[in-house]
Amino acid sequence: MKASSTRNVLKVALLSLVAVVGLSMTCSIGVAESATAKSGKGDAAKPAEKVIDPTDVNSVIYLDTSGKPAGVGDPNRPPSVAYRAGRGWHPAALSATNLPRDRYGLINWAQIVRDNLIKPRPSLDPTEEEMDPLDMDVLIEAKGDYVDNVIYPHKIHTYWLKCEVCHPQIFIPAQGQNNITMVGIVNGQWCGRCHSKIAFPLTDCKRCHSSPKKPPEAKK
Amino acid sequence: MRQSYALITCAIMAASVMFCGAAFAAHEPGPGKLVLDSKAASMSKAGVGPVVFPHDLHKQNLKCSECHPNIFKDQSKANDISMKKNMEGQFCGSPNCHNSPKAFPLYQCANCHTNVKGAK
Repeated sequence: MKASSTRNVLKVALLSLVAVVGLSMTCSIGVAESATAKSGKGDAAKPAEKVIDPTDVNSVIYLDTSGKPAGVGDPNRPPSVAYRAGRGWHPAALSATNLPRDRYGLINWAQIVRDNLIKPRPSLDPTEEEMDPLDMDVLIEAKGDYVDNVIYPHKIHTYWLKCEVCHPQIFIPAQGQNNITMVGIVNGQWCGRCHSKIAFPLTDCKRCHSSPKKPPEAKK
Repeated sequence: MRQSYALITCAIMAASVMFCGAAFAAHEPGPGKLVLDSKAASMSKAGVGPVVFPHDLHKQNLKCSECHPNIFKDQSKANDISMKKNMEGQFCGSPNCHNSPKAFPLYQCANCHTNVKGAK
């Protein structure tokens, strides 16, 4: 009885030894594998412990439209889920990025493109051909005598948009065929189809009414 | 002696309060509404009617000195107001007024002009 019990104890000890050795072996292999995986991904995958400082431009928090954090302002990181889903950047966060602005403090995207600060892709579809912008200014005479004329630049509009976005539904592509009114624009017709919605607002009159018109007194 | 000093200061204070009150009471309140139609011909081309400026409404929120005499001269017809000048930051379009988030923007034609064609 005594001898058999010691044998049993020995057996258990041996088995446990084997188990421990086996376990440690698999563990070490696993660690080695994860190590190679880490080195393979490169240094970019290192999770940087960033402290978010709202006054620091480089660590601006981007919030989605529901106010939840959508990522930090690091262009090297992949876009957040919210951004990929088409949600906008938080205007307050965007305004802290020192991008060029108009005289109302609104970000001047046209200027940003002209200065080559951003280079947006022509389309999400890589097979789609990019059309060259149409460099054609159209003079739109203001109806009143005391309002400057508008010089409409096709160039910046065709940089963003295809012809079919505006023609012929919004603007008939023929001179003098569109009776554009400021009231209509404010009510969402003509330019107001985009401006004050997704394009810069109508607030800065001078941004479009830029070509001086001599008042009738000065014409004498 | 001290008492007389106190009396004099009291008298001065009372006098100044009375003077201020009198000055306010005597102050010209200004017109309630001003019709601005000097450029009626141009306005009709643009499809809008004359502006009716609510002077009383502006007086509720602003001090006289915020507009007069730097932005608007006090005399009638002394200010050559035009949309062009408003857009350039003069008169109604001064940087702290209708060219700023403090007041409605200049493109809301029907807020100032009467008989605006197509206004909702």
